[in-house]
Amino acid sequence: MTPAIITKDLTKKFGDFTAVNGINFEAARGEIFGFLGPNGSGKTTTIRMMLGLLPPTAGEIQALGISVKGNQAELQQRVGYMSQRFSLYNDLTVQQNLQFYGAAYGLNKVDLKNRIQDALAMAGLEGRENAKTKDLSGGWRQRLALSTAILHRPELIFLDEPTAGVDPISRRAFWDLLYQLVADGVTVFVTTHYMDEAEHCHDLAFIQRGNIIARGSPARIKETMMDGQVLEISTSDAIKTVKVLRAAQKAGKIPLKEVELYGSLVHVVAPNIEKKINDIQAILKKAEIRTEQMAVIEASLEDVFIASMK
Amino acid sequence: MSFRHILAITRKEFNHIIRDRSTMILVVFTPLAMLLLMAYALTVELQHIPIAVLDYDRSATSRDFVQQIISGNDLDLYQQVGSIAEIEDLLMHGDVKAALVIDPNFSRDLLAMRGMPMQVIIDGTEPESGGFAVEHIAARAEKFANEALSNQIQMMGFSEESLQPLDLRIRTWYNPGLKPRNDLIPGLISMVLGFPALSVALALAHEREHGTMEQLMATPVGRAELLVGKMIPYIVAGMVNVVILPLLAMAWFNVPFNGSFPLYFGLSALFMFAIISMGIIIGVFMKTQAAAMGVSFLMIFFPGFFLTGLFFPIVSMPEIMRLESLGMPGTHYAIITRGIFLPGIGLEILWPYAVMLVLLGFSFTGIAALFFRKKLG
Repeated sequence: MTPAIITKDLTKKFGDFTAVNGINFEAARGEIFGFLGPNGSGKTTTIRMMLGLLPPTAGEIQALGISVKGNQAELQQRVGYMSQRFSLYNDLTVQQNLQFYGAAYGLNKVDLKNRIQDALAMAGLEGRENAKTKDLSGGWRQRLALSTAILHRPELIFLDEPTAGVDPISRRAFWDLLYQLVADGVTVFVTTHYMDEAEHCHDLAFIQRGNIIARGSPARIKETMMDGQVLEISTSDAIKTVKVLRAAQKAGKIPLKEVELYGSLVHVVAPNIEKKINDIQAILKKAEIRTEQMAVIEASLEDVFIASMK
Repeated sequence: MSFRHILAITRKEFNHIIRDRSTMILVVFTPLAMLLLMAYALTVELQHIPIAVLDYDRSATSRDFVQQIISGNDLDLYQQVGSIAEIEDLLMHGDVKAALVIDPNFSRDLLAMRGMPMQVIIDGTEPESGGFAVEHIAARAEKFANEALSNQIQMMGFSEESLQPLDLRIRTWYNPGLKPRNDLIPGLISMVLGFPALSVALALAHEREHGTMEQLMATPVGRAELLVGKMIPYIVAGMVNVVILPLLAMAWFNVPFNGSFPLYFGLSALFMFAIISMGIIIGVFMKTQAAAMGVSFLMIFFPGFFLTGLFFPIVSMPEIMRLESLGMPGTHYAIITRGIFLPGIGLEILWPYAVMLVLLGFSFTGIAALFFRKKLG
């Protein structure tokens, strides 16, 4: 089976500004493909091109085995989309939103009725059909938006930062729904800047200023992108620790790649970090910082992300 | 075009109108309120204008003359004064809008048939009231002179009729008595029906502002289907007004409706199509509701006021404005409503205006669909 998405040298320019700079990737069917990047890195522009809403300046896109260009009408019927702002009509009821999108995708009355039942069950909104959408909390709205976007049973669905601004429990519930979709054979293409969510994807692409800077599964990205290991240090004064270690790094006393604050902890990244533990301890002692705990940990995607963005 | 897609959009839009009180008010009640308001505001009759009188003549005749002038509701005597300086003071304070100065020779010249020497001073900062006072005094003066002189003339052996060289009898057709409201209100209907067009422009801009437009574009609903589906509910809402407004005009203002109601209804539907298409164009180009609102006033209401011949005759406009007025649906519709309400004329005369409305409607919708495609993304 062909991949769900293939892009070839996909480029989008707005005047002098290059939003997407010749990116190439493939997304396999039946997987969650995570598209990661900071705000303004070209994520939404890429999605819009894949949906056929924005013509690329150069390059090609294939979705579900056919070219996006010239096949927009067919693809719109086979693809789902949940845009950045939940895309529901807030002044309408849950039922009216579902009815409208179902009709917009051409569902007949019987199908529509059954699928609205399914959608309500999926979003956990049974019995609240007549609630106004604006009265639902963020998490409910977001689950409703997802079940609305899949009413027409798309084979591929694009989600543009679906969990932005939603509480962690709702985010978790939302990801459970995504796994359910994937189990049914749907391909999910999701953009996010939550690193914990990225860990849940089967496959990832990091995009920065329109360029893909890393590709692969979370485990592979950590392996290949991370030059060194992460040492997690717990001290009496985390902020002072960062200052002291960065000063030492600058002065050339110790070869460290990264020194970052992680809440009340400090993450230090360097190749062969075990051999530098003693030096680090000495520096901290000299600065009268008490070390409480020190351990080499597995790098998170966030470590990789920060390291690779520099 | 898929009927199912159009129906989906139309149904959703109806839901919006019903759910959203402010849209409902804008579409259904604002035209009614505006018609009432404008009908009253634009046909105010001037009454009880305060004037000052400076009578240098102080004769029985001049006193009679002043009595004549202030009898009735039009002018009120605010004060009899003794000098021009006092008049100036009263005018400065805005206590009077005009002043009548009667010449010392007033009664002598009048009886000698040499004229009626007098002066009317008006406040030029309020030309409406002042001008009205001048006209009124002139009319009364003529009547006064005729009466005062008739006895004298008869004594001199002339018959009264021989002094009237012309016998002009004016008869106004279609609007006997020239009641300004009878003419104004049918025209105003064409203007207040612009509100459904404003609503449709706002509805489109709203979708763009709230990000739902992007979602809509990802569905299989086509551009033209989307626009047509959006237009239908606002045309229907406008047609509700098309029925209510003449009833209001007849019941409240006693405006006669002499023509055919089915014809009026049918031609009104054409107008709604044309004016809603204008709203659609605005909605296609404007990214925010605020912008759509501003441009609607600029493109629908101001031209409706100035260009459609409602208040300023089109024949007296410069060439370019006359051409522009042809592109305004309101110009043609104002002719249709006035024609059907008062003289009660039919399609045999009104057909060119109906054709213009259809042409404008299709052109506007076409332009909107053309540019809608390009504006996306």
